Amino acid sequence: MTYLILNLTVLAALALVTAPVLRQMRRGPLLLAAAVLITLTAVFDGQMIAAGLCVYDAALLAGPWIAGAPVEDFAYPIAAVLLMPALWTWLQGTGDAKSARGAGIRALTDASRPFSWVNTAYPFAAGYLLATGGRIDAMFVIGTLYFLIPYNLLMYGVNDVFDYASDLANPRKGGIEGALADPLRARVTHRQILVAAAVLNTLGLTWLLVNGSASANVMVGVVVFLVIAYSAPYLRFKERPIVDSVTSSAHFVGPLLYALVLTGQPLSSTHIWPILAAFFVWGVASHAFGAVQDVLADRQAGIGSIATVFGARWTSRAATIAYVGAAALLILLPWPGVLAAAAPIPYAISTSRFWNIDDARSAEANRGWRTFLWLNLVTGFAVTMLLIAVARLG
Amino acid sequence: MNFIYLAALLFSVGGLAVLDRRLSLAFWHAGARTWASLIAGVGLFIAWDIAGIGLGIFWQEDSPYITGLFLAPELPIEEAVFLFLLCYCALLAWRAGERFLPLTKRQKQP
Repeated sequence: MTYLILNLTVLAALALVTAPVLRQMRRGPLLLAAAVLITLTAVFDGQMIAAGLCVYDAALLAGPWIAGAPVEDFAYPIAAVLLMPALWTWLQGTGDAKSARGAGIRALTDASRPFSWVNTAYPFAAGYLLATGGRIDAMFVIGTLYFLIPYNLLMYGVNDVFDYASDLANPRKGGIEGALADPLRARVTHRQILVAAAVLNTLGLTWLLVNGSASANVMVGVVVFLVIAYSAPYLRFKERPIVDSVTSSAHFVGPLLYALVLTGQPLSSTHIWPILAAFFVWGVASHAFGAVQDVLADRQAGIGSIATVFGARWTSRAATIAYVGAAALLILLPWPGVLAAAAPIPYAISTSRFWNIDDARSAEANRGWRTFLWLNLVTGFAVTMLLIAVARLG
Repeated sequence: MNFIYLAALLFSVGGLAVLDRRLSLAFWHAGARTWASLIAGVGLFIAWDIAGIGLGIFWQEDSPYITGLFLAPELPIEEAVFLFLLCYCALLAWRAGERFLPLTKRQKQP
């Protein structure tokens, strides 16, 4: 990767995260700060380089030098002017009251739905351990931690921040299924969530990118892009029918796929591709069925989803059929992996209860969603036992 | 061991602190928030540096002007102070602009 690509990537990520707050600020002071910082860089950076304080690999530079410094270096002052005013504004209110701090941390952990944390860390950890024959190294520990906390904070935190308005009208959000920040504290909380997500993800991803292979880096880049694109303004994949369910599934299959690419597994092997395909289909079906209960609320709010397009009935039916399809894919696995084919069946039975549901009664699908949440625990346990058996026999 | 670069950086940070105190811009306006912003900012820049070093884009040779104390391979302690200076300077320049640039007509309206 060249210096230019690295710096443009960092600037783009910073701009995306800081844009919502910077857009509401006065232009003049930001431009003044940019002018000051760029001027100082032009004056001093060249001298620092001439003094030998920093050496560059010429092959990785774009070419142009300005005032004795590679043009890419000017990304640093620009980044500082994007970042510091945004951080200062976001953190407004923190530290004003000591008691607010505990509430802030609680809001942070609520935002990333601790109940679901394991759902992304588990696929990575399980995939990595199986692929490496149980090797526990720095990559395993940091990758698992990354998919346990920062990744979830990014996924659910960014989602909650940009969905706040529509969630406010939905009474279901607020328990194990989703955190709703207290309206009075919401502005402060949202700032803290975005700052924490940005800092933890930058640190975690930097480590993973520096230590991963090129193909694994592309993989994790796509996975993180999909997490942001799901709810970030303009992209809003969650409001694009079908794209919503596919993206949601990628959030969970992604960590597993990343672990397999990272460890150089042959993805087309019959030991592996049916698992990936079935897991993906299961994820699409689960997201689609999850959207059924919100059909009326979403339509009222003018939000699109797979279920608002196909209606409650056909979405439920498609989910049931997809679960059966996932089971069919797993039959292709060699013994004893083939036993996993039983795992999607309880899900199919659960959603088949809503085979004839109509839009007017779509909120009743919440019953099926609650079944889904506890089925995940039971299935997760069963799949773990199976993985141990596969590891022992393999 | 040589302290010229570190001393120059600290002298510059000191100069900013004098301005900060005189005008009550950051540390002398909201201390905890300034610390939090600068720690988060410096943390992000250090991650960026580590990425650049890891990719072999830039590194530190044995410069005659540094102490030789390193936070990580190729990452001298001076770099952390430099990044602090960069972030602090950006914060102060922006805060000063917010304080002293006149509001436009539109911004004056409630």
